[in-house]
Amino acid sequence: MESIHPTPSETTPPINEPAEPIFSGKVQFSGKGGEFFGIWIVNILLSVITLGIYSAWAKVRTHRYFYGHTRIDGHSFDYLATPIQILKGRILAVVVFFIYTFSISFLPILGLFIALGFIFLMPWIINQGLRFNLRMTRHRNVRFAFKGSYGEAFVNFILLPIASIFTLYLLMPYVIKRIDSYIHSNISYGDKPLTVNLKGETYYLTALICFVVSSITMVVFMGILGVFGLNLLDVENQQGLENSPAMVMLPILMMIAYVLMIAIVSAVWHAAIRNHIFDNSHFEGVATFKSELKPVPFAVLLLTNMLAIVFSLGLAYPWTKVRTSKMLADVTNVTIYPGALNLIDTAQEQQSSFAEEAANVFDIDLSLT
Amino acid sequence: MHVKGHFFPIASSNYQVCVATISDTHIEVINDEHVIARHAISSLKLSSGMAGLADELNFEDGSRFIPQDVSYRWPFKENNHHIMERLEKSKWAILAAVIFTPLFMWLVLYKAVPAIAVYSVDTLPRNVVEQMGEQSFTLIKKIALDPSELPAEQQAKVQAHFTSMLNALSLDKSVYRLSFYKSDSFGANAFALPHGRIVVTDDLANLLADRPNALKAVLLHEMGHVVHQHSVRITAQSAASTIVLAVVFGDLEGVAEVALGTGASFAQQGFSRDMEREADSFALTQLESLGYSSNDFADAIEALQESHTSENEHLEKVNDLLEYLSSHPSAQERIDNARK
Repeated sequence: MESIHPTPSETTPPINEPAEPIFSGKVQFSGKGGEFFGIWIVNILLSVITLGIYSAWAKVRTHRYFYGHTRIDGHSFDYLATPIQILKGRILAVVVFFIYTFSISFLPILGLFIALGFIFLMPWIINQGLRFNLRMTRHRNVRFAFKGSYGEAFVNFILLPIASIFTLYLLMPYVIKRIDSYIHSNISYGDKPLTVNLKGETYYLTALICFVVSSITMVVFMGILGVFGLNLLDVENQQGLENSPAMVMLPILMMIAYVLMIAIVSAVWHAAIRNHIFDNSHFEGVATFKSELKPVPFAVLLLTNMLAIVFSLGLAYPWTKVRTSKMLADVTNVTIYPGALNLIDTAQEQQSSFAEEAANVFDIDLSLT
Repeated sequence: MHVKGHFFPIASSNYQVCVATISDTHIEVINDEHVIARHAISSLKLSSGMAGLADELNFEDGSRFIPQDVSYRWPFKENNHHIMERLEKSKWAILAAVIFTPLFMWLVLYKAVPAIAVYSVDTLPRNVVEQMGEQSFTLIKKIALDPSELPAEQQAKVQAHFTSMLNALSLDKSVYRLSFYKSDSFGANAFALPHGRIVVTDDLANLLADRPNALKAVLLHEMGHVVHQHSVRITAQSAASTIVLAVVFGDLEGVAEVALGTGASFAQQGFSRDMEREADSFALTQLESLGYSSNDFADAIEALQESHTSENEHLEKVNDLLEYLSSHPSAQERIDNARK
């Protein structure tokens, strides 16, 4: 399944690294929708019956399934977290979430201070979450690590996003570039740091394309509505239409258009940025990457995923997750150099699952693509 | 027995292709006829297998052996080590899960969570509730309330009705407090805060000025909210259901998350409507027991509905359609319930 290709020119290692690659090929994903459906539904039932306690075990099994079925050069990834670690983190996160909700709803004055405190806690939570997740990821018996600092995280996740509001979000693509750089350049595989070289231009260009694409989608949608005799810009003067079925359907149509637009724009953005990050990151002397995610097939995948989930009342979720992983693996090429054979696992056994859980409950989980 | 596979030495990325041999008590990893690792089976950390994945062995010292055949399962593992894998593959378990998951989900969200919320709210100390109410009240006053412009005698009359009802129902006067405010954003309305402060807007007092019994019905409805501690309960319930959904469904992405969020807000509006009904039925029961008629309540709702409808006739029609998105039962339902 893995043939040795000559190194493509884009992924030529630095000149002082003349070693021939020992492997070059696609990432393999061998998960199956049916198989994962069983794992997913049985684990959800057990989680509900145990009032959420089993969910820690469920999470570990789901991660083990997806990591284990993702292979490079025939070697799978391993997810190492234990359910007890996850459970402890969840209990803490739940307690914090309750304190947060109640103080915000009922002690708004005290709540304001707590919310402010959270702003300062957030960079730490994000860092701990990344650190835990990467330390729990292993490939070829060597673990990943993350070593971002509080100060940098505070600047990238708090200060810059706030600053971008005052520039009418014109700074946002740059901020996202900074965040992506921060996350990826602090990753290391064993003792080998990931070298990342992202360009602001790519982020601005992609943002511009997304803007144009969403405008076109809007215009096309308005045009379709026009065919049905509705003019969105002139609703006030169409009193006769008030009770017509078209008017009643309007909120539903708007929602469909909105969902469509989100899928298309996120596919365009995700494809361009993912490719950019992969193409410009490498573990020196160990591995280089190439991603060729195409926006149109990816948008089609996201849209069909949505339809499948909606019309199956959620039951198609495992299938959508597996086929998404399959597509992402399929467009990802990895070239491995002999340095990969001499890595030493340096990861230490201190991890905070709480931070990652807190990040999940507060919905700022930062996925590593 | 011989098992082909990869052996990873401690903390190293450099694997060797090996064969593992198992005896009754030990496992040996052999490369080119040399034994490179030997471990007692009793020292192995065993975990449940996973569909389609190799059943790897993690030795005490951190080295690992990964069988080549992904469907191979070690014979020395007790059956119960694979119980999860067997359940996840079992047609019956999967079928049962598909059927019972929605049922149990419903039980947890609509029965267990509200019951726990009622219980835990009762354990809150009085001074905490007082603090909670006072702080929210301060904020609402700042944002949406202006001093009342009602004549003093009109205020005094309603206050007198309020006090006599409290006496008749033997409710604590230091808890249930009535105030009047002028508010443009609330219009004709009344609301209750968790610590027992009830606010009636000038517009509402004027609207029901010549129907004092209807105003009493509204006051009783708000008292009902305080008696049943609704505002604290709904916060506890929505926080708890958010947690249940987040924990059970984990990190969903995209549309699945949107769908779950929509479901959660439907559930929450459902809780809210149930609480309005509870407050309504408190008002109806107490109206009867105080010698008034439940028609007074229907009058109040009718008057409120008229005053709101005249403001935006157009929206009312949409509202009928969107009843399930509303935090209150429909006015018609509440009127019918009072008149029956």
